[in-house]
Amino acid sequence: MSFWDRISRLDRRWIYLLVWLTVITPLFLPATFPISVTPEARQLYDAVQALPDSCVVLLTFDTYPNALAETEPMARAALHHLFRKHIRVVTLTTIPLGGPSIAERVTRELAATYRKTYGVDFVNLGYKPNYVSVLKGLGTSIESIYPTDNSGTPLAQLPLMQNVKSYSDMKFIFVVTDNGIIDYWISIVNAQFKIPVGAGVTAVMAPKQYAYVGSGQMTGLLGGMKGAAEYEELVDKHALATRGMGIQSLIHILLIVLIGIGNLAYFMGRRKRGAA
Amino acid sequence: MSGWEVFQIWLGAFLTVAIFSFMYKDNPLYKAAEHIFAGITAGYYVALYLDTVVYQQLWVPVTHNGRVWLIIPGILGIFMFGRLWPKLTWLARFGLAFIMGTTAGVFLASELHGNVLGQMSGTMQIQQVAGQPNYVLTALVVIGLLATLIYFYFSKPHTGVLGVTASVGIWFIMVSFGAHFGYTVMGRVSLLIGRVYFLYNDWIGTMR
Repeated sequence: MSFWDRISRLDRRWIYLLVWLTVITPLFLPATFPISVTPEARQLYDAVQALPDSCVVLLTFDTYPNALAETEPMARAALHHLFRKHIRVVTLTTIPLGGPSIAERVTRELAATYRKTYGVDFVNLGYKPNYVSVLKGLGTSIESIYPTDNSGTPLAQLPLMQNVKSYSDMKFIFVVTDNGIIDYWISIVNAQFKIPVGAGVTAVMAPKQYAYVGSGQMTGLLGGMKGAAEYEELVDKHALATRGMGIQSLIHILLIVLIGIGNLAYFMGRRKRGAA
Repeated sequence: MSGWEVFQIWLGAFLTVAIFSFMYKDNPLYKAAEHIFAGITAGYYVALYLDTVVYQQLWVPVTHNGRVWLIIPGILGIFMFGRLWPKLTWLARFGLAFIMGTTAGVFLASELHGNVLGQMSGTMQIQQVAGQPNYVLTALVVIGLLATLIYFYFSKPHTGVLGVTASVGIWFIMVSFGAHFGYTVMGRVSLLIGRVYFLYNDWIGTMR
């Protein structure tokens, strides 16, 4: 059996092992690569940067726990930016499985860093079922959809919510999501209530979302861990995504080499069969 | 870190390793983790909907706020369980008809506003790059859109000009698939990195 035949029949577990080693090695020998900022990430950053201080922004945590590696760094970088500008933040989620607790944990942790007070500088509305009703209802009355916040406190008792009654009292919506809910933030909220929407989405979802950015329906986009790293770069808070992109780049190089070898093995094998 | 938190991290680490063990080969540990995940998710959703829908949006408004008319959607919801008994299957159609009607009504407007008109308008505009008009990109978008649409036009054989245009459409579709594949690889690798960080920082962190 020739070398190329052996490559063609290689047990795929060797490839898994190579990927594992590539992921683990930078934990001990850190690998860093420069992060270029895409125009879409810059657009999102500029849109938030242009917002007046002390205005209200809605930040959504529409994410399941399994996508946290991509979505949590985006939310953290966004909160750094928002709190640093003294923007007041209202958070919510349309995802029941983990969404409310992720919003609570991440927002409170960052709020403590910037000495923000719950109820005054930020509020977590939590989760309500039936996202279509939620997205439409918030345009009319937030209190009709969320009579209480995530902890059960009536909105009437929260100072921030005294002046925030619907989308019209918000300047921007920053959607962090790992699922198709982003389509409804565009088609229901942006299209019908004319409020600018920017998004951080998982890499799998990103290609489709570029169409919304191109048409002007979405104000900026972060795609996957790369997008999160770009926003970390823009807000100068290098964290998990920036570190992760070092590993990511190494794995991409590995995969390109493996795809090259795989194709070479295929064509060599075909040539040999043709000669025979 | 409390003992409970350490236990949670160890449990998470055990389940993570159990799921990853599938990469070597299918085994009882992987099966156990898979079944635990499916069972907990199903149980969680049942409890969640009982609380957030049945209790918060039906029981409380009807019994505390006097919104008695909510009993009607409540009954339609109960009808949906008719599918469990062959003789009562017809009852479920009332609930389904209501859902289909409201869904069509809500999404007709939103799809028209958000996707059809919004995307048509976006295609007709001059494309911008860094705030400057870019005519090459604009031409690519228009050619790509028309060629791809023609590829999916099956009422005439793809020969002659139609065939050439459809072939151009295939190239655009392939580029799109390539972009999707690249992003998907990046996404999956990101998830692996997230789990490895969890094992390295949180799990091994409890042993330091």
